[in-house]
Amino acid sequence: MPNCRPVSHTPLDVLRQLFASATHDASTAMCRWTDGLITLSLDEVREIPLGEVCDELNLSDELLTMVVLHLEGDVGGVMILTFDEENGRQLAAALLGRPVEHDDPWSILEQSALTETGNILGCAYMNALTRLIDRELVPSPPYFLQDYGASVLQQAILAQAMTSDEVLVCRTGFHRQGAELDWRVLFVPTEAMRRAMIEAIRTAR
Amino acid sequence: MGQVKLAAAPARLNAVLGSCVGVALYHPRARIGALGHVVLPRSGGTGGGPAKFAESAIPYMLAQLEQRGASRTALVARIAGGACMFGTGGPLQIGDQNVAAVLAALKASGVRVVAQDTGGTKGRRVSLDCTNGELTVEIVGCPPRIL
Repeated sequence: MPNCRPVSHTPLDVLRQLFASATHDASTAMCRWTDGLITLSLDEVREIPLGEVCDELNLSDELLTMVVLHLEGDVGGVMILTFDEENGRQLAAALLGRPVEHDDPWSILEQSALTETGNILGCAYMNALTRLIDRELVPSPPYFLQDYGASVLQQAILAQAMTSDEVLVCRTGFHRQGAELDWRVLFVPTEAMRRAMIEAIRTAR
Repeated sequence: MGQVKLAAAPARLNAVLGSCVGVALYHPRARIGALGHVVLPRSGGTGGGPAKFAESAIPYMLAQLEQRGASRTALVARIAGGACMFGTGGPLQIGDQNVAAVLAALKASGVRVVAQDTGGTKGRRVSLDCTNGELTVEIVGCPPRIL
């Protein structure tokens, strides 16, 4: 990661600590939801130059299946759950107890299985953040979309792009029985959320 | 994002756009093109390179093209992007503002806009062909459109 720049040692460590704890909660929830099949681990918390963020996160013109959830308000952010077609279908099939469908358009049930997964993960992250910053967070309903990964990320990072040329992103990976899956959760906090998180952890020390 | 690329025929310049606006400027005689990836309408005093904001990206692109011998009087513009990716209820619906700011900056610079494909709620993949200035716009689930 040649372009990875630390926020500064202390805030970055603080944010890693926070997201590791939130990811643990999300992993527990995911494990329960998938009957022990899937777990999560925190991959990285990074600040990336705006011009390089899509490349660094491997989100380009690839068509992805995504579930998006907002934490609304000034102290908020965007969570994006991303899958390629194959992996998204596999998760939906596993949750629905059906064989994997490859050719048909995504059914309402399949979409619902993925949005519910986004809901469970989003709530786990939100609960951890709420406990930390002691503020009420209002999540939007999660929604399903299929589009170019880079185009969705652009909208998610706008709030940070307004005040900075670097974007803070938390990336989480998924594992099935120890093997890494090509699924990701990206969480992009607003600037106000980032400040609130750092302040809350400093105060708690 | 927030960058400008320049190239001459037969190269192509590519970008993926969500709420950002892709500005393709093309000089038909010199067969030189520039593709700007505008993120926000204006800086509001915040930092960032000139290509990040509509108000500064257009003058910057014109200066870059003029340095390569492409006079602004012959330039034509095609623009795409400016979607509201998270629907009308989502946060930071800035796509429309980006489009308006780009159009205003092009008008102020005297550059003619010959085609645009903007708005909506879907991302776009665009490719500027520096051989003829055509901008191909792809939206998931739709046939490609050539501007």
